[in-house]
Amino acid sequence: MQAAAHAQQDFPSVKLKNTAGKTIDFADLIREAKDTTLVFSFWATWCIPCITELDNISDEYKEKQSSMNFKFYGISIDDSRTTKRVKPFIQGKGWTFEVMMDVNSELKRALNITDVPHVLIIKDSKIVYRHTGYIAGEEDNLFDEIKKLQ
Amino acid sequence: MKKYFIFLKVSLLLVCSLMAVKKTEAQDLSSIIKGHFNGSFENYSQYYLKDSAIGATIPPDRFGSNSFLKLDYNYDKFSAGVQFEAYLPSVLGFFPLPVKSQSKILNKYFKYTDKKFSIQVGDFYEQFGSGLIFRAYENRQIGINNAMEGANIYVAPTDFLKMKFIYGRTRSLFEYANALSRGADAEVDLSKLFGAKNDALNASIGGSYIGKFQEYSGPRDDFPTTVNSFAGRFDISNSDFSIDGEYVVKGEDPNLLNSYSADKGRALQINGSFTKNNLGVSVTVRSLYNMNFQNDRDEEFLSVAPLNFVPALTKQHDYLTSNIYVYSAQVKGETGMQADIYYNFSSGTALGGKYGTKISANFSQYSGLDIDHKIISSGDEKYFSDANMEIKKKWNKKLETTIALQHIFYNSSVIRAVSADDVNANIIAIGALYKWASKKSFRVKFEHLSTKTDEKNWASGLAEFSFSSPYQFFVSDLYNYGKTNIHYYNLGASVTKNATRFSLAFGKQRAGLFCVGGVCRFIPASYGFTASLTTSFAN
Repeated sequence: MQAAAHAQQDFPSVKLKNTAGKTIDFADLIREAKDTTLVFSFWATWCIPCITELDNISDEYKEKQSSMNFKFYGISIDDSRTTKRVKPFIQGKGWTFEVMMDVNSELKRALNITDVPHVLIIKDSKIVYRHTGYIAGEEDNLFDEIKKLQ
Repeated sequence: MKKYFIFLKVSLLLVCSLMAVKKTEAQDLSSIIKGHFNGSFENYSQYYLKDSAIGATIPPDRFGSNSFLKLDYNYDKFSAGVQFEAYLPSVLGFFPLPVKSQSKILNKYFKYTDKKFSIQVGDFYEQFGSGLIFRAYENRQIGINNAMEGANIYVAPTDFLKMKFIYGRTRSLFEYANALSRGADAEVDLSKLFGAKNDALNASIGGSYIGKFQEYSGPRDDFPTTVNSFAGRFDISNSDFSIDGEYVVKGEDPNLLNSYSADKGRALQINGSFTKNNLGVSVTVRSLYNMNFQNDRDEEFLSVAPLNFVPALTKQHDYLTSNIYVYSAQVKGETGMQADIYYNFSSGTALGGKYGTKISANFSQYSGLDIDHKIISSGDEKYFSDANMEIKKKWNKKLETTIALQHIFYNSSVIRAVSADDVNANIIAIGALYKWASKKSFRVKFEHLSTKTDEKNWASGLAEFSFSSPYQFFVSDLYNYGKTNIHYYNLGASVTKNATRFSLAFGKQRAGLFCVGGVCRFIPASYGFTASLTTSFAN
């Protein structure tokens, strides 16, 4: 969905834990980010296209961070079967962006995300871009979209 | 039924008009309508053809179609929503037994959320601890929705205490189970309670209770109409390590699936993890006995209206051949463990090259409990083991390759509940992704499974082409050349635009266990066309 010049959206107040065990309220995160571009990528340790996409984003993450102003979050929808795997998995991948856990898919459901991977860009409390599925090269599109918002 | 269609039409009209108005008078709209609508629609349809060689049966009208329309509204601290579902009729294997075509609103809720308090009435999803005692969730891919209808309250009276309360009845297919449950969960953040000065160490303890009541009209005077279950848990972590565990005791719960056993159920799960530099290690040990927890004691299928969640703690593979022998947790009793190691050879090192080399290894093994059902024991009869490793290497911006090796032990008699020889299988899989221009890519994967028992050897190949975004095409084949000599071929295409995806495929589906998120369902063999559409929208 493309950006529309309407009022700020009301985002659901869903509490997520990050890999350091800290609880973060999704609505607060959006509110406090103000005009910083926020990117949320919904993924799971069992979703191969998600991992390919995040590996490719990770490869360019440092470089893009230095040239553009955005924050990137991986939202893991792993449930209790695989949630304990998430932190070691990220470490072994060398991903440096923050990852939060949506263990019973509460945020996924509240944002009406059907399948992973699913990427959202939120700026000024509005969803300005969202994309479902992954095709090699999709990360180029994503970085282009972030660039447009600079 | 009619009123639901009217509701659906009104809802759709409302959303469509909101979206239409958005384009022309967006600013005016925002001043008129407060709050935010969002929703999603999903349809999965199949047209069946006959193929007696694979055992594909054809339903009377050759067609199956599942649809889900979900609409949510948020305004400040309030939210509300509905989910409409239509099965006209349901696709094969979605429900454990064929059900009549039907469509109705199956979930509806109203929620108020504040910083330290929330209340939801209507249908809700919730989880206590790891879910071994209670989990209400939805998984559309395998047809599970055990949402609870009732009330769900969250209270955090201080910064170190969080409490949850639930009361209600569980959804059972299209109706509600004939049982009422109430529960409470509390978690105490010890680090905050004792005023830890920094975030270096997190420690918490928690406890849960679930009581399920179902009427009983049989001859036994002391029949446990209420099944009380309790769980305790702890969690300690810092930036590099974590250890957590949960112990569950389920009261006497005679039911069809446990052969009306008078024993209590027990489960113990302990997880540990360690991360440092480029290394991640995770180990899980779990034992359980008599841990199926159904709403209806006479239910014959585990997946219909369960109260808890007992996933198979094994690696979920993405390979066609790896998914021939998959484990499902044996809730009657099992003990075992799983370990994972992840390592990244950094870029710039000899083994890492320019983009790094990622390796992962996983091992899991599960056995039956010994004769006196002790849950702390090394176990008895071996049920399953899986040792696997994968190396992923990105050579340059265009080329990435993967190689995976796997050894599986599979006790058919226990897992499939049919008398058959044990299976020892070896799998090798190699794959490559070649991206020759922006959004133009080609992916191939070859796999081979060898075993001397069951259906013997399998070979598989997959090719996926993305000529230009948003189109993608694939062709795959899974070929058995030990016993049946059947090709399970599939070909298809998909198109994606923003949050909308449509795909169409044609081919053969092997009968077998289909698992998502650790819960498995038996899928019958099928042959034919499959179409799916998913979309998300918002005003």
